[in-house]
Amino acid sequence: MNQFLAMENFRKWIPLLVLIGLALFFTAVNPNFLSFRNFARIAISASPALMVAVGVTFVILMGSIDLSMEGTVAVCAVLFALMLNALGGSIAGWGWMAIPGTLFVGAILGAINGLIHVQLKIPSFMASLSLGFVGIGLSLLITGGNRIQIEDPIFRSLLTLRIGGFALMSYAALAALLIAWFIQDNTTIGRNFYAIGGGEDLARSSGLNVGKLRITGFVVAGIFFALGAIFAVARLGIAETETGRNFMFVSVTSVVVGGTALRGGSGGVWNTLVGVLIVNVIGNGMVVIGLPDYFQDGVLGLLVIAAVYLSTDRRSLSFVK
Amino acid sequence: MNGGLTYTERMRRHFPWITLVSALLLVGMTDINFLSPENLLNLATDIVPLLVMAVGMTLVIYIGSIDLSSQSIANMATVLTTISLPALGVGSGLLVIAAGLLFGAISGVVTARLKVPSFISTLAVGGIALSVGQFASGQQALHMDAEQRKHAFGWIMGTTAGIPHELIVALAIVAVAWFIQNRMTAGRTFKAIGAAEPVVVASGIRVERYKILAFALSGMFAAIAGLMFSVRLSGGSPTLAEGFLLPAIVAVLVGGTPLTGGVGGVTNTLIGTMIVAVVRSSMLYLNIPATGQQIFFGLVLIVAIATTIDRSKLRIVK
Repeated sequence: MNQFLAMENFRKWIPLLVLIGLALFFTAVNPNFLSFRNFARIAISASPALMVAVGVTFVILMGSIDLSMEGTVAVCAVLFALMLNALGGSIAGWGWMAIPGTLFVGAILGAINGLIHVQLKIPSFMASLSLGFVGIGLSLLITGGNRIQIEDPIFRSLLTLRIGGFALMSYAALAALLIAWFIQDNTTIGRNFYAIGGGEDLARSSGLNVGKLRITGFVVAGIFFALGAIFAVARLGIAETETGRNFMFVSVTSVVVGGTALRGGSGGVWNTLVGVLIVNVIGNGMVVIGLPDYFQDGVLGLLVIAAVYLSTDRRSLSFVK
Repeated sequence: MNGGLTYTERMRRHFPWITLVSALLLVGMTDINFLSPENLLNLATDIVPLLVMAVGMTLVIYIGSIDLSSQSIANMATVLTTISLPALGVGSGLLVIAAGLLFGAISGVVTARLKVPSFISTLAVGGIALSVGQFASGQQALHMDAEQRKHAFGWIMGTTAGIPHELIVALAIVAVAWFIQNRMTAGRTFKAIGAAEPVVVASGIRVERYKILAFALSGMFAAIAGLMFSVRLSGGSPTLAEGFLLPAIVAVLVGGTPLTGGVGGVTNTLIGTMIVAVVRSSMLYLNIPATGQQIFFGLVLIVAIATTIDRSKLRIVK
């Protein structure tokens, strides 16, 4: 029994060890990897991804999944840019209203997602995948396929303003992560997500309103997707349908690789931070050591399979669809 | 036989073709030319690659799983066909089919043996296929040599008595899939797995092998879809088949194979694909922009799942 516990304890640290191992490996191949400037670069590319991955973490903790992020991020990004430009084009003026506005849009999209999943009793991966497609179509319809430029220097300071070498965006993402941590560990909602993921029957018989909680989970996820959209727009200075591209694969990979179990109930936002860093270190490191970036999808694919395989307790599963 | 079924359940079986006929009539009322044999033939030929992909997808949904890698495998197939055409000629087709089988089998092994849920395993394998496609193509659009294409795949492109060969090939492929599904042990086992997997396990059937086979076949059909698409467009690129995944899943579900599997099948998907084709082209007739289609099909997908899914198999909906 003690040995089993020791094994479980060790397992918890595997993602972090993988992250350190990867960093050491890339440094050994090309010492330029281990530079302050490169770390700042990784932190910038990881910020939007971290927000989206943290959002989906809450849903995965409940044992569901949200695959709508590409559509949600696209819609939020495009609407954010439109609102900002319509309200004067500057965060310093009335334009700041675009930020709560976008978070609200994200919450609404999440709520629709959750309602369809819970009320129509459709498995969440399919409900959210369908809505993701709808979102992509919607953002294309809004923009007509065009790009929207954001030129507000104050908003762009999320990228351009550096404090201690790191972009302001990275600090903002860290702050949002702390909020997510607070939600997860110190609110009833957060604890109940774990309860549902650990065993829905038990959660239900303990008197939890599981349906309502599931919808709440999707709303929280939607708000974080919207945050990710805002950071993604800040990073590139443009909003378009393409802004949402690849977020689905990358964020689900990050969560899983970070050690949050797909069946729900274990893991959390700190795991997701490690997972996002692993994914971004691989992406960055492959460029640094001179491998073309299109190998990334393949490497991430293998990583996901390995991570889910290692985190699944196959004795407790009868069959998997 | 039907004694145990309620009236709605018996009616449900007929929904797909009733939908198809009413859609055809509806569009036909606004423009009678739509129903001309020539237009309908064009419509059917146009949808061939999608049909082949959807047929493969059917086998996986039939066992209650899902394959999200089809589009990536088809993308990869367009690239591999174009690259290997000069060296292998018609053999490039075999190479692509083998590649599809391999990638599908990997999804199957990861799902059945490593117990990774299929939507994740196929997403991951799709990522790998995407990388292979990008690597092999050097991230460029490639073109086939007209002479080589004609020599190797000219037989797919022509027409006989006004019927495009592409359509004949597609129907032959559907027939093969139908035979596998209805006349072979494998197909009957797929149905059993979809209907009640624990029972099949308890009957001592090696469920894992059949699951792997279903995924492998789905990969193969996706690769054939990519092959036919690249022959039609005379080239390949790692993004050529973009936009196939949603209509393929819609075709299967609208055809009447529920997400939980066990009923429906290949002929249902044939009807489902035609519904998709009619809806698509009627939207062109009604001047609805292409972006509207994606929204529409996304919503249709939700409705189709909600109305066909067998909730008695899902004790807890996750």
